[in-house]
Amino acid sequence: MDDRNDRRRPAARLALGAALAALTLAAADAPVAPDFALPSLAGTNHRLSEHRGEVVAIVFWASWCGDCRRELERFERLRRTYGNVGFVVLGVSLDDEPAQARALAAAAALGYPVLSDPGKEVARTYRVDDLPLIVLIDRNGVVRARHDALDEREERGLMVSLRDLIDE
Amino acid sequence: MRTSTKAMLLTLWALAAFVAMAQAGAQDAPAPAAERSVLDAEVQELRREVVDLNRDLFMLEEDLLFPASTQIAVFVSMDVGTFFALDSVQIKVDDKEVANYLYTVRELEALRRGGVHRIWLGNLKAGEHEIVAFFTGKGTHERDYKRGATLTVEKGVGAKYVELKISDRLRKLQPEFVVRVWE
Repeated sequence: MDDRNDRRRPAARLALGAALAALTLAAADAPVAPDFALPSLAGTNHRLSEHRGEVVAIVFWASWCGDCRRELERFERLRRTYGNVGFVVLGVSLDDEPAQARALAAAAALGYPVLSDPGKEVARTYRVDDLPLIVLIDRNGVVRARHDALDEREERGLMVSLRDLIDE
Repeated sequence: MRTSTKAMLLTLWALAAFVAMAQAGAQDAPAPAAERSVLDAEVQELRREVVDLNRDLFMLEEDLLFPASTQIAVFVSMDVGTFFALDSVQIKVDDKEVANYLYTVRELEALRRGGVHRIWLGNLKAGEHEIVAFFTGKGTHERDYKRGATLTVEKGVGAKYVELKISDRLRKLQPEFVVRVWE
C-alpha cells in the first residue's frame, strides 16, 4: 500500500504542478483591468484597485446617451441584489460638466458611486468607442467581459456570467 | 505563437494534468491524513519561497531602475488633518509634473493612522533641483483649498528622501504643509 502511494505521489505532484503552471500562464495572458482613480459626484475619490477581491462592473455612460439610463438602472437593481456578496458597480460619466451627470444620477436614484471622467483619460484607456459600455472585472482584477447596451438575450448572458464571477 | 493557439495549448495542458491528477486520485481513494499534512506543508513551503522570490525580484528591479546614485523618493504623511481634507497632491520637479495622485477615503484613513505614502520614486542627476508640491482639498468650513510648498534639494551621490507632511497648526486653526529632507 505504502509502495503504491510512494509511486503515485510524484505523479500527482507533477500533475498538480503542471496544472498550477498552466493556470498561472493562462492568468498572465488575461488582460488585467487598468487601474484608475477618479473623483465621484459626491466628492470622494475612488480607486479601482481598492475593489480587488470583489466583482466589479464599470458602466461608462453620458447624460446625452439614450440607452445609458436603462443600463444605469439595471445595474442599480443588480447592485441591490448582489451587493452583499461582493458585487460592486462603478458608474463612469463622460459628461464634460459633472452637473449634467449629477442630474441624471439623482433622477435614476443610483446607490453606487458615479465617477466623473471629463478628461476622458479612463475612457481612452478602456477603449470606449460606444456608449453605454459595461466592463465586468473578476475578483482578481481581470477583465472578463465587455458589453454594449443589452437586449433581453444579452441580459440573460450577462446574468449567467455575473453569477459565475460571483461564485468563483 | 499566436495568443489563441497558446491559450488552447495551455488549456489542453491543464486538462491533461487534471485527468492525470484525477486518475492518481481515483486509484487511492482517501489519502492518509499524515500524507495530506506532509503535502500541505510542502505546498506552504513552496508558497513561502515564491513570496520570498517575488520580494527579491522586486528589490532587484528597484535597484536596477533607481540606483542609489540618482534615486529620489517623495513621501506624503499626515498628522491629525483636522483643518484640511486632502483630495490630491501634485508634484513638480524642475517645473515638470512627475506625479498627480488622488487620495481615496481608505488612503486618507491610512494616512491619518500614521501611514506614509510614497507618491513618487524617480531619478535625478546630481546637483540642485526644485521640488514643488501642490496640495488640493477642503479647508475649514468646506472651502476649496489649494496650497503649494517648495523645496530646493541638493542631490548628491546617495539616495534622497523627501517628506511632505500635512499637520494642524492649532494656534491659527489652519493646516500646515511642511517639506523636509530625511537625512
